[in-house]
Amino acid sequence: MKELPNNKRGKKRVLFDKPRSYIMGIPVIFWLLTIIITPVILMLIMSFRQKVGYDISNILTLSNYLEILKKPSYVKILLRSFRIALIASTLAIFASYPLAYYISRKIRKGRHLLFMLIIAPLWISYLVRIIAWRAILGNKGLINSTLMALGLIKEPLSFLLYNQFAVAITLTYIAIPFVFIPLYTALEKIPVNLIDAARDLGANEFHTFINVILPLCIPGLLTGFMLAFIISLGDYIIPMQLGGTGGMMLGNIIWSQFGFAFNWPLGAALGFVLFSIAAVILAITQKFGSREGMLYE
Amino acid sequence: MKKERRKFKLSPLGIYAVLAYSFLYLPLAVVIVFSFSPTKSIVGFSGFTTRWYIKLFNDEALIAALIHSLQVSLTAVSIAVVVGTSGAFFLVRANFPGKQLFRSLSQLPLILPGIILGIALLILFMNLGFELSMFSILMGHVCFTTPVIMFQVASRLQRLPRSFEYAAKDLGATPVKTFWYVTLPMIRTAIIGGALLAFTMSFDEIIITYFLTGTWTTLPVFIYGMMRFGLSPQVFAISTVVLTFAMVLIVLMAKFTAVREEL
Repeated sequence: MKELPNNKRGKKRVLFDKPRSYIMGIPVIFWLLTIIITPVILMLIMSFRQKVGYDISNILTLSNYLEILKKPSYVKILLRSFRIALIASTLAIFASYPLAYYISRKIRKGRHLLFMLIIAPLWISYLVRIIAWRAILGNKGLINSTLMALGLIKEPLSFLLYNQFAVAITLTYIAIPFVFIPLYTALEKIPVNLIDAARDLGANEFHTFINVILPLCIPGLLTGFMLAFIISLGDYIIPMQLGGTGGMMLGNIIWSQFGFAFNWPLGAALGFVLFSIAAVILAITQKFGSREGMLYE
Repeated sequence: MKKERRKFKLSPLGIYAVLAYSFLYLPLAVVIVFSFSPTKSIVGFSGFTTRWYIKLFNDEALIAALIHSLQVSLTAVSIAVVVGTSGAFFLVRANFPGKQLFRSLSQLPLILPGIILGIALLILFMNLGFELSMFSILMGHVCFTTPVIMFQVASRLQRLPRSFEYAAKDLGATPVKTFWYVTLPMIRTAIIGGALLAFTMSFDEIIITYFLTGTWTTLPVFIYGMMRFGLSPQVFAISTVVLTFAMVLIVLMAKFTAVREEL
């Protein structure tokens, strides 16, 4: 959309307005400072403090960060979280892309409804969707009880639940709508003339796709992938519910520092590690990804 | 040629689409079917019962958690409507340096993993010496409902021509009157749609809430507690209720906003 001139004569942009126009900003600035910026800064400070017995000392050190690097189990869980998040977001991309392509290019009527049906699960209870996957993969779940009723197996298959596979599939399920939106937006924006031109020049559907459509989707693909990755990386409820001990992720060790381990400074340090990873990824996405596809842009 | 095309023929992509929609919706269907099953198993489905639903109504702790959830979500959304709408005007109409930074920071609650805000707010309340209570949960919810409404309203405001407001001013309307009679009616559906979306998100939020919960629990945290003892039929029944409620809200929300454009 075209930028409207800021003053009526269309002179150069004014940097500041009259003070009156800032009144509107007071509540939102207050919100931003009190419950977003301040808590994150306090978390950063907490991450430099140290647990001493049952107390937290006021001396600032790097010991929590060093502990994370020194403990092989933490590094292992961090790497595992990266791997699971990578798998889930890749699967989500591969699952969503053909769907986005089909709906944006092949469907004429009811496109809006089909779009809504894919993104609606985004807002339908996160917890219910976890319950659903436990009900499908569990010992008395859909898959096992069907196979047993058919006489194909005698004992329930135990490899379905409480492992990384169950976590990855549920995260994929959660990530699909996040990935779908930027992909769909990118595909929909491609002008028809461009595709007609490719056809006129003799490209078949496959070549049009590889040489014209796919390159134009790259910013959307990047945005979708990054969003799915961040969301998967930081999840702790899904690994808790479906991961068992072998499927623990970064979020779980953060959670346990605030729970039974009661080591808040270490938990804050782990939280800040996650925050930094997310911030770097978001910065990359803002630079190279598609703006329009961002969920709330 | 044309007639042949109209025949319903599924291409490989079409078949894939059908499978993909099944993948998205079958798990939810499983929950609903389980909730009506008299036994715990879905296969050998031996009849139909609404027993689990009746049990829900008699569970006082569950009803209390439901009421708590409604209280938190309604209060959080009311605050978010005021902060978010005024914030949208600030974002779209005011000029100030660092606007891009402000926009990015305001988006954080929506794109950061919830666990970060959960622990950050927990540390804030500890520093202030507050007990975990309804207030801490409420603040957690105001955190992410505000930007939902703010960005919905902002995208509407951006597309509104200002000529209507200039016309109102030229005709002698005060700024308050201009806002009330001209601007507000034009952004009303965006506010309602944003509020419904924010309410839906708030009503089933657990990732942040779980860190901020003391003894006062919301419905998702209560359901989460029920799940510790395995998935009982009641869990499926309450899930079905929550699912239906969310669906209704989403349909309403879609009616109020052309979501496609607002996203």
